[in-house]
Amino acid sequence: MSEFASIDWLALTVFAPLLGAVASFLAPRMAPQIGFASLTVTALCVVMLAAQVIAGGPVIVSLGGWGAPLGLDLRADGLGIVMLGMTMLVGLFVSLGALDSFSAAREGEENARMRLYFWPLWLLLLSGLNGAYVSTDIFNLYVMIEVIALAAIGLTVLTGRLEAMRAGLEYMFASMLGALLFLMAVGLAYLQAGRLDFAGLAAHAGEPAMMLAFALMLVGLALKTALFPLHFWLPRAHASASAPASALLSGLVLKASLYILLRFWVEIFGPGSLIGLTVGLMGTGAVIWGSVQALRTQRLKLLVAWSTVAQIGLICVAFALADTIGAQTAWQGAVLLMVAHAVAKAAMFLAAGRIAQETGHDRIADLDRTHLRPTLAQFAFALAAISLIGLPPSAGFAGKWLLMEGAMRAGAWIWVVVAMAGTLFSVAYLSRPLIGFLRFDRAPDPVGEHHGWAIADAPPLMLAFIAAISGLAAVQIIGVLDIGAPFGPFP
Amino acid sequence: MIDALVLFDLVLALAIIGIAAGVLILRDAFAMIVCFVIFGLLSALAWVRLAAPDVALAEAAIGTGVTGALLLKTLAHLRGRTLSPPLRVKGGLVVNAALCALVTLAGIGVFLATPIGGAGLEGLVAQNLAASGVAHPVTAVLLNFRAFDTLMEVVVLLVAVVAVWSMERGIARAPAPVMGEVYAGFARLVLPAAVIVGAYLLWIGAIAPGGAFQGGAVLAAVGLMLLITRAYTPLPAHRGAARIVFVIGTALFAAVALFVAQGGRATFEYPAAHAKSLILIIEAVVTISIAATLAALFHGREPVAVSVRETRA
Repeated sequence: MSEFASIDWLALTVFAPLLGAVASFLAPRMAPQIGFASLTVTALCVVMLAAQVIAGGPVIVSLGGWGAPLGLDLRADGLGIVMLGMTMLVGLFVSLGALDSFSAAREGEENARMRLYFWPLWLLLLSGLNGAYVSTDIFNLYVMIEVIALAAIGLTVLTGRLEAMRAGLEYMFASMLGALLFLMAVGLAYLQAGRLDFAGLAAHAGEPAMMLAFALMLVGLALKTALFPLHFWLPRAHASASAPASALLSGLVLKASLYILLRFWVEIFGPGSLIGLTVGLMGTGAVIWGSVQALRTQRLKLLVAWSTVAQIGLICVAFALADTIGAQTAWQGAVLLMVAHAVAKAAMFLAAGRIAQETGHDRIADLDRTHLRPTLAQFAFALAAISLIGLPPSAGFAGKWLLMEGAMRAGAWIWVVVAMAGTLFSVAYLSRPLIGFLRFDRAPDPVGEHHGWAIADAPPLMLAFIAAISGLAAVQIIGVLDIGAPFGPFP
Repeated sequence: MIDALVLFDLVLALAIIGIAAGVLILRDAFAMIVCFVIFGLLSALAWVRLAAPDVALAEAAIGTGVTGALLLKTLAHLRGRTLSPPLRVKGGLVVNAALCALVTLAGIGVFLATPIGGAGLEGLVAQNLAASGVAHPVTAVLLNFRAFDTLMEVVVLLVAVVAVWSMERGIARAPAPVMGEVYAGFARLVLPAAVIVGAYLLWIGAIAPGGAFQGGAVLAAVGLMLLITRAYTPLPAHRGAARIVFVIGTALFAAVALFVAQGGRATFEYPAAHAKSLILIIEAVVTISIAATLAALFHGREPVAVSVRETRA
C-alpha cells in the first residue's frame, strides 16, 4: 500500500484520460479499445484517490512544488470526490453504450467516423471535467472550461448532420461568449486581489471589483449551463447529437459549470441574499419555461432536452434555497440533486436513443401506434423518470427531502412552492411518453417486443437502476461530502 | 517627451475604438476582415505600450495573423455571399447596447475604485525566478510555475484539431487562388526567413519576450504559405504523421510532468539541474505541435480521398 500512496492519483485523474485521448487519436482503428481501457484506468485512479480522501481527509498537491499563489494547487475534498465519482459512474456506462452504438457491426460511413472520433473527444472532455473538479485556481478553471467547451462542441456535431452542425455552431457562440465573460471576470479578480487562487480571492470577497467579477462569472456560467433565459442553445444541441454524446452533454458537461458556480458561491464569495435571489429567480423561470416547452414538444429527445432546462432550473432553485437556509445539509441536498440528475438524465438520453433506434422515429404521439416495443429501453426510461421526479428511494428524493426539511424550518415558503411546482411539472411532462409506452390498443399490428436484445440496452437500464436506488446510499454520499467541509460552517 | 507619448496613446486608443466600431458597422465581409486585422495590429501596439511585449507578439501572430488567414479562408468558402443585410436599429439592438453600456460603465466604475498597481504576483515571481531554470519571467510562469495551465492550453489546440478532423467533410475544396509569379517568388524569399524568425522566437523565449506560442504561430505562417502556394498538398497518406505531430507536444509535456514526479518531487517539479533543458525541449516540441495544428486548422479538414458527393459539388 505504501508504494501506492506515493503515486499522485490526483494528477493522474486528469492525465490518464489525456494520455488515453492521445493514444486513441494516434491509433484510430484501436480507438474503442484504447478509449475504454483508459476510461477504466481513470476510474481506478478516482477510486484510489477517493480511498485516500476518505481515509485521510482532503488531498492537496502543489504542482511543481511551488504552492499557491505562485504555482497551482490541485485539491480533492469531499465535494470534488463526489463530482469525480459521478463523472466516472456516468462516463463508464455511457462508454459501454458507445462501444455498442458505434460498433463496427453497424453500417454506414457516418458510423465509422463517429467510432474513430468519439473516443479522443470524450477522453479530452473527461480530462477537462476532472481537471475542473480538482482545481483551486480561477485561471486554471478558465482553461479547463475551454477544454470542456471545445470537446463538448465536437461531440455535439459528431453525427455530421446539418441540424447538428447548426445547433453546434449556436452552442459554440454561446459557449465562447460565456468563456469570454468568465475571462473578463478572472482579469477583474486579479486586478483586485493580485492572485488567482480561491483562498486568496476569498479574502477580498465583497470588494467592488469582486462583485462585478462574480456578476460576470454568473452570466458566463449561466450561458454554459443553459440557465434560463440563457438556455436558447440547449434543446437543439442536445436533441440533435448522437445518444451517447447527448448523455454526456446533458449529464456531465452542464454539471461542470454548475459545480464551478457552486464552488465560487460557497468558497469565495460566501452566501449573499442578492446572488441567491438572482439565481433563484432564473431557476424559477427555467422550471416554468422548460416544463411548458417539454409539455408542448412533439419529439422524445426534445422533451428530454427541455426537461434538462427545467431540472437545471430546479437545481439552481435548490442552490438559492440552500443559500437562504444557510445550513450544510441544504447544500448537500442540492449536490445530491445534481448527482441524481446526472445519472438519471444520462440514462434517459441513452434510453431515448435506443427507443428511436428500435422504433425508427421519436415522435411522442406515435409511440403508442408502433407495434415494436423496445421494452428494456422503455423500462429504463421509466426508472430514470422516477428518479428525476424524485420518488423514493432515489437520490433525487433524498436531496429534496433534505432541502424541504430545512426550508420549512427556515420558513422559505416561496422556494418550497417553486420546487414543488417543478416536481409536479416533471410528473406531467414525463408521463407523456410513459402513456405512449403503456398503451397497446392503438397499434395496427400485434405488438412485438423488438428486434432482440442489444448490449446498448444494458447501460441505460443499469444507470436508471442506480439512479432509482441511489437514495439508499445518500447517507454515505453525504458523509463523503462532509470531508474537508466544502460548505463551511456558515454563521 | 512624455506629452508626445500620452498623445500617441490617446490617438491609439481612439483608433482602436474607431476601428472596432468599423468592424461592426461595415457590411462587406472582406472589409470587415481587413478592419479586424488592423484592429489586431493596433491592439498589439497597445500591448507594447502597456509593457507587455509577450502579449503583443501573441496578439500579432495568433490573434491577427492566423485568425485573419482563417477568416479569409472562410470567406473564400462563402463564394460571393459576403454582404450582410444593412444594419437596422431595432428595439433589441437598443436594449443590447444599453445593457452593454451599463456593464461597461460598471467596469469603469470598478476600475476607478480599485487601487492601481496593487498587489500582484510579480514580486513572488522575481523571488523564485532563479529556481525556475529560465531568466524570462513570462516563460518561467508559463513553463514552470503554471506549467499545468500551459499544458491544458496546448490541449485546447489539440481538441480543436480533433474536432475539426472529426467533422463531416461536406464542404468542397476552395477554388485554387489565382496568384502570379510575384507571389511564388515572394514565398521563396519569405519562407526561409520565417522559419528562422520562428525558431529565434522560440529560443529567445528563455531570456526575453518570445516563446512556444509566438514561435509556433510564425512557423504556422510558413505552413499556411506552403498550403496556399500548393507547394505542399495534404494527402491521405500523410495522416499518420500529422496525427503524431499534433499530439507530440501534449504527449511529451504530460509525460515529462509525470516522469519528474519521483524521489519526493511533485508532478511538474523539474529537477533543478535539468530545469532549463527540460523546459527548452518541451517548448521546442510544443512549438512544432502548435505550428502544425494551426496550419491544419487553416486547411480545415482531414485529408481523405475525395468522396462522390464532393466531386459532384
